[in-house]
Amino acid sequence: MFRRSERGCAAPRQVTVWLDGQPCQVPDTLSVAAAVLHLHGWQGYRRHHDGSTRAPLCMMGVCQECLISIDGRPNRQGCLEPVYEGMRIERQQGERHAD
Amino acid sequence: MPTNARPTEIAIVGAGPAGMAAAIRLAEAGLRPVVFDLNAIPGGQIYRQLASPQVDARIMGQEYLRGRELLAAFDRAAIDYRPDSRVWWTQREDDGYSLGVLQHGRTQHWQARRLILASGAMERGWPFPGWQLPGVMNAGAAQILLKQGALLPETPPVLAGSGPLLYLLAWQYLRAGRPPQLVLDMASPSSRYIEPLRRPRGAWLGRGYLAKGARMIAALRRAGVPVRRRVDGLQAEGGEAVERVRYRHRGRWHVQSTGLLLGHFGITPEPQLARSLQLAHAWHHSQQCFLPSRGPTLQADESLWIAGDGGGIGGALNAEREGRLAALAVLDTMAENATATPSEEAQALRRARRRDLAARPLLEAMFRLPDDWLSTQPDTTLVCRCESVSRGELESAIAQGGAGPNQLKAFTRCGMGPCQGRQCGESVNRLLAGRLGQSHDAVGYYHIRPPVHSVTLGELATAQQQ
Ligand SMILES: Cc1cc2nc3c(=O)[nH]c(=O)nc-3n(C[C@H](O)[C@H](O)[C@H](O)COP(=O)(O)OP(=O)(O)OC[C@H]3O[C@@H](n4cnc5c(N)ncnc54)[C@H](O)[C@@H]3O)c2cc1C
Ligand code: FES
Repeated sequence: MFRRSERGCAAPRQVTVWLDGQPCQVPDTLSVAAAVLHLHGWQGYRRHHDGSTRAPLCMMGVCQECLISIDGRPNRQGCLEPVYEGMRIERQQGERHAD
Repeated sequence: MPTNARPTEIAIVGAGPAGMAAAIRLAEAGLRPVVFDLNAIPGGQIYRQLASPQVDARIMGQEYLRGRELLAAFDRAAIDYRPDSRVWWTQREDDGYSLGVLQHGRTQHWQARRLILASGAMERGWPFPGWQLPGVMNAGAAQILLKQGALLPETPPVLAGSGPLLYLLAWQYLRAGRPPQLVLDMASPSSRYIEPLRRPRGAWLGRGYLAKGARMIAALRRAGVPVRRRVDGLQAEGGEAVERVRYRHRGRWHVQSTGLLLGHFGITPEPQLARSLQLAHAWHHSQQCFLPSRGPTLQADESLWIAGDGGGIGGALNAEREGRLAALAVLDTMAENATATPSEEAQALRRARRRDLAARPLLEAMFRLPDDWLSTQPDTTLVCRCESVSRGELESAIAQGGAGPNQLKAFTRCGMGPCQGRQCGESVNRLLAGRLGQSHDAVGYYHIRPPVHSVTLGELATAQQQ
C-alpha cells in the first residue's frame, strides 16, 4: 500500500521487527502501524465487532483503528508506538475489538 | 490529590509549535516547565520528524524547514521535556491541576500550579458512505507516513475533501514523483468565489495563502492531474477494502477505480482535555466546529491557558505566537507586582496575531464544507465508526425523543467506543441541531470523562507502586 520513496531521502537506519513471527527490516523512524502498512498494507488489521474489515485511519492516536499486539501486550495503539530492534508484533487478524 | 504526585510550577501539554514556543519563553525567564508529548520527538503535526527528516526539503516545502530554528531553541533551552508521555487525565484542584501521565507503560501523577494546553488539532470526522473501509485514510495520516518514513502510496490515490492540507499533500506527492490520479475538491461552492470579493481586506492579508494555493493547483494541472471542483457527493465502495470511488460532479455521478482514497475535511481542535475539564466551548460559525472559550490572554480557566490550534485553527505561525503569549500571561500571574498593561513584547505579539487571524475568515470561507452534508447522506452511512451507528439509527433515536448528545449516546451507543466520540461528536451535534431546530451551542456536546487516552488496569496499577 505504501512504499519508501527512492527520491531525495536520507538513508534510514533499519531495525528488525518480528511481524507474526517473521523477521522484517523497517526504518526505525516508523510507528508500528506505519511499519505494518508498509509491509502488508491494511491486511490483517483487527476486525470490527460487526465482523467488517477495518484499518488505520488517522495515524495520530484519534481513531483507535490500529490496535495491535506488541511484545505480547494486546490492543496497543500501533500508530503511537515507534518500532525498535527485536520488537514482536502480532496482527490481531480476524480478532474482534475487545471491550 | 495523590500524595506521591510530582510537583511542578508549570506543565505544558504538547510539543508542537505552540507548546515548544511557550516552553522556550518560560525557560528564558528562568523557569523550567515540564512538557509532555505523546510523540517520541518534538515538532507536533507540522514539524513531525523534522528533527531527523526522512524526506527531501524540495518535496516537503519551505514551511516544513521553517521549524528547524524552533526545534533547535527547544533543544537548547532548560526544559523538562518528556516525550512518549500521554496525558490521559487532568483535574482542577485548589492550587492548580492534577495530571495523570502514561509513559512507557507506567502512570505518573503530576501536580502543576499552572497548565498550558497546547494539544493541537485533529482531522475532522466527516461521514460518507464507505469511509470505514480499509483503503480509506485521512490525508493527514498519509502525510504522517510521508514525514515519518518517506512512504508514498504504491498506486496513485484519489484525494478528496477540502482544506489546505489536501492540496499540500497532492503537491508533495507530485514533488515526490508520485502524483495522485484525481483530486476531488468538495468545498461548498457558493462561498468560494464570492467571499474574497466581499472581504478585500482579508484577501489582501491572505494573499500569501491564496497565491500559494493557486500555485499548487496550477502545478497539479500542469502535471495532468485532474482537479474536479464543486464535487458534492462521495462514496467509497468495495468488499473488504475500497475498490472504487463514486463522486458527483456537475450533477452526474462518476466512478474511479482506486485502492486508496485519502480524505481530508479540515481540522478541528483536539477536544478531549479541554472537554474533560468541562471548560466552556462555543460553536464557531466560520470554523464550523466548537472552540474552547479563551480570554484575550488565552486564559480559559484559573491557572489554565490554551495555545495553538487546540484553541482555534490559526496555523503554525499563529500557534507559535500564541505559545509565547500564553507564556507571557503565565509570567504575569507570577510577577510580584503584576501590571495591568501588557508589555511591549505582548502587544507586538497580539498585533501580529490579529493580523494573521484576520486572513483566516477568507480561508475558512474558501474551504467551507456544506453544512447540510450529513443530512443528505444515505441512511446507512456510519456516523460513529467505533460502534457502527448509522445516520438512520440516530435519526430514529431523535424521533423517539433523543434530545441531546448524551441521550443519543445512551440510546444508540454512538460515541461510546474507544475514540470517545472524537470522530462523531460534532456530527451528532449537527444532526440534532438540524432536526430539533436548535443552535449548535444549545445542543452541546458529549460529557467527556477521563481517561482521555486508553489505559489498561496494569498501567493504572503502576501508579501506586512508585
Ligand atoms: C495530521 C495533521 C497534519 C498537519 N500538517 C500540517 C502541515 O504540513 N503544514 C501546516 O502548516 N499545518 C499542518 N497541520 C496543521 C497544524 O495543526 C498546525 O499547523 C500546527 O501543527 C499547530 O501547532 P500546535 O502546536 O497548536 O499543535 P500540534 O502541532 O498539533 O502539537 C500538539 C502536540 O500535542 C500532543 N498531544 C495532544 N494531546 C496530547 C495528550 N493528551 N498528551 C500528550 N501529548 C498530547 C500531540 O501529539 C502533538 O505533538 C496539520 C494538522 C494535522 C492534524
Ligand atoms: S491509526 Fe488512528 S489511532 Fe492509530
